[in-house]
Order: sequence, then structure tokens, then C-alpha cells
Amino acid sequence: MIAAVASGFALALAAPWIVRRAPAHAGWMLALAPAAMTAYLAAQVPAVAAGSIATAATAWIPTLGIALSFRLDGLSLLFGLLITGVGAVVTVYAGGYLAGHPQLGRFFASLFLFMASMLGLVLADDLIAMFVFWELTSVSSYLLIGFDHDRAEARSAALQALLVTAGGGLVLLTGLLLLGQVGGTFAVSALIAHAEAVRGHVLYLPVLVLILVGAFTKSAQVPFHFWLPSAMEAPTPVSAYLHSATMVKAGVYLLARLAPVLGGTTVWTALVLPVGAATMLVGALLALRQTDLKRILAYSTVSALGALTALIGAGTPAAVEAAMVFLLAHALYKGALFLVAGAVDHETGMRDVSRVGGLRRAMPLTAAAAGLAALSMAGLPPALGFLAKELLYEAVWPGPGGAAWALGVVVVASAALVAVAGIAGVEPFAGPAHPTPRTPHEAPPSLLVGPALLAGLGLAVGLAPVWTAQPLVASAAGATLGAPVTLALKLWHGFTPALGLSVLTVLAGATLYATRSVLRRDAAWLDRAGRLGPAAWYDWAMRALLAAARDQTRLLQSGYLRTYLLVVVGTTVAVTGYALATRVGVRLPTALGDVRSYEWVLAAAILLAALGAVRAPSRLAAVAALGAVGYGIAVVFILYGAPDLAMTQFAVETLTVILFVLVLYRMPRFARYSGTAARVRDALVATAAGGLMTLLLLAATGFSLERRVSAYYAESSVPLAGGRNVVNVILVDFRALDTLGEITVLAIAGVGVYALMRLRARTR
Amino acid sequence: MIAEMVAALPAAPIVVPLVTAILLLAGPRPRAQRLLGLAGSVVSLAAAAALVAATRRGEVLPIQAGGWPAPYGITLVADALAALMVLIASLIGLVALLYTIGARRDDRFVHAGWQFLLAGINWAFLTGDIFNLYVAYEVMLVASYFLLTHGTSRAQAREAFTYVAINLVASMFFLFAVALTYSATGTLNMAHLAERVPAAPVAPVRAAAVLFFLAFGIKAAVFPLFFWLPHAYAIPRAGIAAFFGGLLTKVGVYSLFRVFTVVFPGQLDGVLLWVAAGTMLLGVLGALAQDDIRRILSFHIISQVGYMVMGLGLASQLGVAGGLFYVLHHIVVKSGLILVGGAIEETHRTGRLDRLGGLARTNGPLALVFLLCALSLAGVPPMSGFFAKLLLIRAGLEAGQPWIVAVSVLVSVLTLLSMLKIYSGAFWGAGSPPRAPARLVAPAAALAAITLLVGLGAQGLYGLASTAAGHLTAPAAYVSTVLRK
Amino acid sequence: MPSLILSTAARYLLPLLLLFSVFLLLRGHDEPGGGFVGGLVGAAAFVLVGIAAGVDQARRLLRVDPRAALAAGLLLAVASGLPGVALGRPFLTGWWVTLPVAGGAKLGTPLLFDLAVYLVVLGAALTIVFALMEE
Repeated sequence: MIAAVASGFALALAAPWIVRRAPAHAGWMLALAPAAMTAYLAAQVPAVAAGSIATAATAWIPTLGIALSFRLDGLSLLFGLLITGVGAVVTVYAGGYLAGHPQLGRFFASLFLFMASMLGLVLADDLIAMFVFWELTSVSSYLLIGFDHDRAEARSAALQALLVTAGGGLVLLTGLLLLGQVGGTFAVSALIAHAEAVRGHVLYLPVLVLILVGAFTKSAQVPFHFWLPSAMEAPTPVSAYLHSATMVKAGVYLLARLAPVLGGTTVWTALVLPVGAATMLVGALLALRQTDLKRILAYSTVSALGALTALIGAGTPAAVEAAMVFLLAHALYKGALFLVAGAVDHETGMRDVSRVGGLRRAMPLTAAAAGLAALSMAGLPPALGFLAKELLYEAVWPGPGGAAWALGVVVVASAALVAVAGIAGVEPFAGPAHPTPRTPHEAPPSLLVGPALLAGLGLAVGLAPVWTAQPLVASAAGATLGAPVTLALKLWHGFTPALGLSVLTVLAGATLYATRSVLRRDAAWLDRAGRLGPAAWYDWAMRALLAAARDQTRLLQSGYLRTYLLVVVGTTVAVTGYALATRVGVRLPTALGDVRSYEWVLAAAILLAALGAVRAPSRLAAVAALGAVGYGIAVVFILYGAPDLAMTQFAVETLTVILFVLVLYRMPRFARYSGTAARVRDALVATAAGGLMTLLLLAATGFSLERRVSAYYAESSVPLAGGRNVVNVILVDFRALDTLGEITVLAIAGVGVYALMRLRARTR
Repeated sequence: MIAEMVAALPAAPIVVPLVTAILLLAGPRPRAQRLLGLAGSVVSLAAAAALVAATRRGEVLPIQAGGWPAPYGITLVADALAALMVLIASLIGLVALLYTIGARRDDRFVHAGWQFLLAGINWAFLTGDIFNLYVAYEVMLVASYFLLTHGTSRAQAREAFTYVAINLVASMFFLFAVALTYSATGTLNMAHLAERVPAAPVAPVRAAAVLFFLAFGIKAAVFPLFFWLPHAYAIPRAGIAAFFGGLLTKVGVYSLFRVFTVVFPGQLDGVLLWVAAGTMLLGVLGALAQDDIRRILSFHIISQVGYMVMGLGLASQLGVAGGLFYVLHHIVVKSGLILVGGAIEETHRTGRLDRLGGLARTNGPLALVFLLCALSLAGVPPMSGFFAKLLLIRAGLEAGQPWIVAVSVLVSVLTLLSMLKIYSGAFWGAGSPPRAPARLVAPAAALAAITLLVGLGAQGLYGLASTAAGHLTAPAAYVSTVLRK
Repeated sequence: MPSLILSTAARYLLPLLLLFSVFLLLRGHDEPGGGFVGGLVGAAAFVLVGIAAGVDQARRLLRVDPRAALAAGLLLAVASGLPGVALGRPFLTGWWVTLPVAGGAKLGTPLLFDLAVYLVVLGAALTIVFALMEE
């Protein structure tokens, strides 16, 4: 299994090369790999149906309990076959559909990246590993939707799809991590054993909601459904494969996979079933209004995803069995219809159903495939779709798991979908021919084999379900229910209520189909309602976000140094003051101690010089005043017995003043830029900052001097370091590393100024 | 001889680039400068790798500089955290240098400044003394002023002045905090401080902690002190900006991690998570308002620092390990992105999204490199960014702080949006722009490969980050080894 | 611009100031002084000449490029830390020898380090001042 997934990724890497070597046959050649995988998986069906489960695992992040573990049970196998089987068909199709496209290699690389990821997703047993593949499917979907990136619509649709699915993905990740915390493991197979504990945990509801958000975004459930119709900007093979047959079903897969762990509670049903039902209804109704072939199919896919979600939400054996059969049926007929839509687009140059017609003469084989697929979609015998719809009705028939309102929803939606099947599968081929941008011909073999195969399968399985789909579907349902099921698929059930509903549905659907032009004309209110829907919320949120971003940036990024400094110093005063005032309180030394008169004089002089620097009428005066402050401090050093410091301070001040003078005359004329109010404000902030520092210093003094490490320096300087000048010994021996750093700073500064000046001189 | 070399190893990442820089000051020929600069970077990287190998099981390797016993001399300490930081610094130092050489933007001064900066950064990571950390900051900052203003226009030099001024203020706070700490505890050695702070007077310790936080916070560009960064980091050429954007703010983050676990544990309880949330949100909002690749990336530096602070704020070993993982991952990815931006700017003379388009058509490899790094930044698997986020989310959930998890998830989505805005604007769309030469793409490609490999083999880096976090959340072994007890 | 009085004074002051700076450097280990302040005084001497007689004159009298002094000083500072390493002791460990001259004068790597400080301070200060004066 690991090899199967890994080979998919390898194929993604190799695809561009293969396309370059054999551009004409790349589709056929590349399809061999998924076809082989389909055969391999199909060969596993008997064993899996008999109840055996294959596993494979390799350590990944053992200390976090994350492993690359895979598990092949019925559910995984059903999805795996869809992924590889439809994948093979779509690969052949894309080779023809995009023949000669300069970016074909990149297209196949993205497509196989998706295929491998999707396969990994459905095979993974470890939730984190599964999530990794989950996100990779979103990313490959982004790349594929945006494949025709010249068009702005494609770019924004790709972005929208990724934002919704990856955003939901992150919520899902949170849910999965929480689930792992609650259940003590990330392995689904082990979580099932702890299902009772998980469902009874206080965090069960958050876990469930977070995971559902992930599943609903991926599977385009209301209110997240809007991204799927937009995603129709992707090339048609992508729509058929990702956005109908496989990727969008990942959310459904996740629900089915975790149903044995999280399902079976009232909350589960109360959350999942209504959302699914609403999605089914909304999708079906919106599909009726469309005229773009692909958007029709997209909305009907939304509806089908809603049905699947609702069934898994109901969670009864009948519902889950119906879900699995419907899943298979939908993948086959919807895949076929999308590929047909692509062929129509390819041959006529347009895909507006109200403007193409009569194609049955030019494209008879395509028309036949379309008709077969539409048969299944409408739920007419003997196609698989009929079986699925019968099971669906049985599942929601009032009784355990069913409800009258749910039955009503299903009937209305199904009737609408019958009409949609007609619009998508029959209308383009029936009636009189219309002029189209291109003159239609029968599609080439590469575009024909796919729809024919998928639609044909739908018919074959419907005719002989016991021999084909039954074991697979039964074991998939068993995996979802957590218990083996006995399922008997047959076309003829006798005169059951379900059959009656089927007849009713078809009649209602046929009526809707017949009145479709009236619907298109007169139900414009649906469009207006749509403009208030989630797609509009998305647009609004994007605009609001940008506006907020611009405003806050304008506010915070003024570009004025003085503002920045004010904020920095103001924050410091506020935060430090707050921390001290609220948490500890500062006790000040009450007596200043023994202050001599000349110390007062010196302090006053320094203060005066500092004031002078602030009030100076010119730069030169300010520099001189600052120099005076410096000399004053040097005197302080002398008074307190630090001649080294004093000497250094004198020398530094002198050189600094010289440097200032050298720099000053290059500067623009001295002027006052700020008004009185601003100066008062600055003075207040500065005084507050200075006052705070003073207070802090006063509060910090008084720690016993003997315990300071400097006591060691005084003792050891002569005996151990051989120097009587402790300051110097500290500088060149005890803490020579500091000095090394400081002279490095000096050296860099020297070279820096030199480089700056020399470069300026050269550029002038 | 071998034993001596091993004992001296923790000093090598400082001394090697320092000596290289001094030799470069002598002004050899351009070819020799290049070779010397590269040699210094490669040897530093090798020493850093050896250091990681020597500390990976939790070993703490001190050097008592000058032979004076701790706490009296200055101790250099290599533990898993310091070794990892030195490794990432040396790696980015080398890769960004290769880009700068590839872009033909190197001269003697660039090479010398580069090695000085690397020495200063490594110094900050390796020192075990809080005043020596200040000195290392000075080395780093004066070297960064130098590189920031080098080869720029007058207007840009003026913008750099803002950077200088703000950082000087930060240095002043730093120095004042050191003075307060010393007057309250009588020592500067961090391990010794860990012992003495609990018994020290409360008010000065608290004030010092707040001032340290502000000083480091300005350097790390956290809320509400980040506003200086976006302009400053958009000034220099991409090679230097990658070195800066990846590393310089992370020295501030590193200092927050070191000082607020070992020296002042618990002093910022409750504050850090709010700071993290503000930093994440305002940073990403700022990015969304920009239309220039390099400026977008600059704002993301801020936003991403928020995640790192979140890890620190969660304070558990998992949270701190997640924060450290985030730091290391982010440095790789952010530098990679800036280098991609640089390759675009060098080739097309602009980084504005409205003037670019269609790069994916002609620059396939560059598009792939960008996507890998950008998606990693947004936390998409299987790149390293995913695991960084996974660790933080898990730590947040375990710590019972769902609100910060919610913020981090929201910001991830916005990050994705903003990265895709670049992809959509520059790489998609009409046009067939010229191809960026391989010498500009290869360095970023190396970093993209690293983020992918680190993600696929996440156990490796997570194990190291976890060991490093262990020294921070339970510093007893660190303290006793440094103080030789 | 150079005034006669100032340039004459500078010519006589230069050797005195230089002698004083070296004096400060040498006595620094035991009495107030040291490489830092010594270097500053030395730099001040040449700055004085620069102001009085022009930068070219100051450069001529200095004989070496200040940047060379700066680089040599920094290299010396690092190198003075290495003998300890060679002996298996930590970086920057002091290493002393007693010279067989009058009174057994001591010479040790910390003194070399101080000399290095002197050179770097002198070199850096003059590099900056000269660069500013020359433009």
C-alpha cells in the first residue's frame, strides 16, 4: 500500500518528462499506472469482502504518536477503486482533451499528485497522516482549478476553493488533535475501540463540531457549497475527477470513517442529517436554474454530496448501505456526464445547454453514453442509479432513522435531479441542431472511451449487482457501521412504497424538464436570493478584510520616527509602571543619605546642561550642552573614585563633540517642526520615562555589596590576575570577552562610516 | 589535541567568522574575498553541525572564557538550543551569501560586514552571560546597520536611520535592565541568575523583566513594538534582507525564550499569549494591505513571530518545543521566500504584483520553490510549517487555551490568502516574462528542499527541539553544568 | 583655514600626547589608564593635527592607514586569546612570562589584549574622523 501511494507521487514527478518524450500518447501511457492499481485493488475485493484487512505501517514521528500507517478495509477499497479507476479513465481523457497544450506535463504532475494524495487519504489509518494527504488534495485542486491562469475567474476560483477547503482543513486539524488527546491515539482502528469513552467525553461536542466543519467544507455542504460551482473554471477532466467523483467526497469519506467513533449519538444525527438534507435540496434547486452544462453538473453534485452526508448522518444500516450504493452510482454517472460535457465543449466550442442541441446526429456515440448516464442519474431502471434511489427512499421512509420531513426533501430534490439529468444528458443531443462556434464531429477515441466506460459500468452494475458491486459495497457499509452487513442488491423489489415514490419522482421530474424554459425565464428570484447567499458573504468578507488591513496599516505605519519613538517610550513607561504599580509596588528610600554641598552643585549643573540641550536654539549649542552633561558625569566619576572611567569619559566626550561638529554642517538648516502642544506632550513622555528610570534605580540600590561578583574581582585581581587596577583587569582579563565585543563594534563602526562616505563620494 | 578542539568547539562559531571578517578588512582581491567569505561561512556551518551533534542528547558544553570560573568570568554555553540556533544562522548565512554572490551584489565591505554579523549572531546564541549578550547585540546591530545602508540610495539610508534609532532605544532599555538585574542580584551569569532571582527583591526584578521583554520585543518585532520592521527590511538587497529577515528578529525571539525561561520564569505569565495574538493578527493584516512581494514578506515576519511567542507563552515543554521548531522552520522558509522575491526583483526590476505576471509559465522551478516555501509558511503539509503549527495547536489544546489556537488557525488562513495573492499576482496570469538565471534560483531551491525534508523527517528536528526545550523548561542541568556543581 | 598658532601648537603637542597615550596604555594594568583611554588620547592627538594642518598632514604623520591599525588590533585581540587554547585552556585565558630584566617585568597575553584595544580604538576613531574631514 505504501508502495502504491509512493508510486503515485513518483509518477507525479515523472509525468512532465514522459509528456515531453511522447506528447501525443502521454495520456494513454500514463493511464497504465492507475489502471494497474485499479486491477491490483480489484483483486483485493474477495479477500476484503471476506473480512480480511490488510495493514502496513512505518514510524514517522514516534514521540508524538504519529505513524504512516495504512489500512485497507471495505470503505478504503471502495474509494480506492473509484480513485484509481476514474483516475485511469480521466488520464486518457485529459491526454486527448488537452492535446498539444504547452503545460500538459505540469497538468499531469498536478493530477497525479492529487491521485496519490487521495489514495493516501483513503488508505491512511493514522489521522494525522490522513490529514497530510487531505491538505495535499486541496493544494493539487488549487493548482488544477487555476490551470488556465490567464483568466482572472480561474485564479479567483482557485483561491476561493483553497481558502475554503484549507481553512476548513485547519479547523479539522484542530479537531483531529483534540480527538487524539481525548482518545489517546491517532489510529482510527484503535479509536474505534475507545469509541464509548470518546462519545462520553466532555470534549466530544467540540471535537465533533471541529471535524464536521472540515468535512463540510471539503464536501461542499451548505453554507460552504459555493466554492464548488466556482471550481468549474478547472479543465473538464479535473471537474469530472476531483470535483465530482473523488475529492469532494473526501468529507463524506471522513464522516463514514469516523462514524464508528463519533457517530450514533443524537448530536451527530442532529448536526449531520439536517446539513446534508439542506445541501441536497439547495443543490438540486439551484441546478435547475443553470444553463452552463458544467455548472448544472456542479450543483447536482452538491446535491448528491448532501444526500450522502444526510445518509451517513442518519446512520442506520439502511441509510449507510444506501449511501455506499449511491456513492458508487453517482461517481459513475456524474463522471460520465462531466466527460460528455467536456466532449461537447471540445467539439462545439460552447457548453450552454440552451444554445446547443441536436448533437445526436454529429456525435452519436457520445450521445449514447450521455443517455446511459442520464438514465442512471434520473434513477431509472435498469441503471445503478435506480437501485441507489430505491435504497435512499427505503432509508428515509418514516421509521427508525427516517422522518417525514427528510422524505419530503428527498422527493423534491430527486424530482429536480430527474429534470437536471434530462437537461444535462438529453437536451444537448435532442431537438434541432443549433449553429455553434465549431462544427461538431464525433469525439476522438480518447474522449469517448471514458464516458462510455463509466456509463456502461453504471448499466452493467445495475443489471447484475450481485456479481459486481454487492460484496464491495457491503463491506464498505460494514466498515462504516462497525459491524458486518448482509446486503442484497436487486433491481426488482416488488411493489414497495419506494417504487411508488420512484414513479412519482420521475413523473414530477419529467414535468419540470418539460417546463425548463419557463423556469429559466420566470424564476429569476432564485438568482436574487443567491446574491444574498454564502458566495456573497465570502466576497463581503474579503472586501472587509482588505479594508481593515489598509486602515490598520495606515494607522500604525506612519513612517515617522518621532511617532515610533513616542510609542516605544510611551509603551515602556506604561507597561513598566503598570507592572510595578499593580504587582509589587515600589518603596522608595525615604532619606537620601549624606549628600554634600558640592554634589548638589554638580547635580544642578548637569541638570541645567541637559535642559540647555533641549532648549538650545541651534545644533551647535545643543552639542555643547550635551558635552557639558558628559563632562559633568566625568566629574561624578572622579568624585566617586573611578579615575579610569573619568578619563575615558572626558576623552570620549571630546571626540564626540568633534565628530558632531564635523557632521553638523552637512545637515539641513535647524528648524522647529513641532508646535507647543506636541512639545509639551514629548516633554511629558520624556520626563515620565526619566522619572521612571530614576525610581527604578532608587528601588534597586541596597543589595548587599559583598555578594556581588565584583567582590571577587577586588579580591583576585592582584593575586590571580597580576594587576592592581581592577577596572583594567576586568576589561582585559576577567571580562575580556565583553571588551573583544566592544572593540569589534568600534571596528565595524569605523569601517562602516568609511564605506558609507567613500561610496557616497563615488556616486556623486 | 582532539580533546582540546572539542573543548574549544563552542567558541568556533564566533571566532571563525570574526577572524574571517578581520582578514577581509585587509582588502584582498575580489576573487579572494569571495573565497574567503565562503570559506568562513562553510567552516562556521561545519562547526555548528559538529556542535549540534555534540549536544543532541542534552549535553551542555560550557567554556569559561579566560579560564575564570563561573559566575566570575564570562561563560559561553553550547546546549541543544544554542547549537541549533547557531546551525540555522550559519546555514542561512551561507545560502544568502551564495545568493548575494550569484546576484553579483558582493564587494569587500559586504563580505566583511556579513562575517561580522554572523559572528555577532552566533555570539548572542552562545553566550551564557546577560551583559555579554548585550555586547553580542551591539556587534550584531552595528554590523546590521552597516549592511543595511551599504549600497543603498540616499532615501533608503534615511529609512535605515529609523531602524538605527529604534534599535538604539531598545539597546538602552537592555542596558538599563542589565544594570537593574545586577544591582538586584549581584551577578550577570544567566545560570547564576537562575539561582539568585527567586530570592532577589521583587520590584527591580520585575522591572528588569519588563524592560528585557521590551528590549527583546522591539528586536523581535512583537506587538505593539513592531512598526519599525516592514520598512527597514524592505531596504536592502534580497540577499542581505534574507539574512536579516530570517535571522535578526529571531535573535530577539531566542533571547525571549532563553531569558524568560531560565532567568525570569513566569514573570510574563498571561501577557505573552496576548502579545502573541496581537502580533499574529496585526502582522498578517499588514501583509494583506501590501502589493509588493518584499513588503508582504516583511509583514509576515511579524505575524510569524507571534506564533513563536505563542509557544513560549504556553510554557509547557511541548509548547516551547513547538515555538523553537517554529523559529527554526520559519528562518529557512522566510529566507527562501525573500530570496525568491529577490530573484524576481533582480530579473524584472520590480516586485510589485500589478507589474508582474505569468512567471509560472516561464519560471517553473522558481514557481515550485515559491509554492513549497509559501505553503510551508501557511502551515500546509507535508512541509515543516505544518508540523510547527501542529505542535503549537496541540500544545495550546493541552494547555486549555482554545482561544489562542483559534487565533492561530485564523491567521494561518489569512497567511495562506496573502501567499496565494503573491502566487496569483506574480506567477499566474498572462505574459511570458524572462527566466531568472539558475544562480539566483538555486539558493532558494536549497531552502525549499530543506523545508520539505524537515517536514518529511519531522521526528529529527522535533527531537532536537524537544531536547532544547527541556533545558529551558527544566533548567537545573543547564545551571549545574555551567556553575560546575 | 589652518591657523598658524594652532598648527604650530599641534606640531609640538603631537609627540607629547602620543607619549602620554602610550604611557596610559603601559601603566594601565596597575594604575588608572589602559588601552581604551590611551587609544582615545592617541586619536585626539592626530585629530588635533588634522584640524590644525589638514587631514593629509595627519595621515602623513600617522604613516599607516588607520584602517590597518584597526584590523591589526582586532586580529591581535583574537590572537591573544589563542595561546591558552593551544595549552588546552579556555579561549582568552591569560598566559604570563616573567622577563629576565630589571625587577622581573611581567609580560602576558592580557597586555597584548590591551595593546589590541589601543590599536582598535585609535584606528576606528581616526578612520571615522578622517573620512568625515576628507569629504
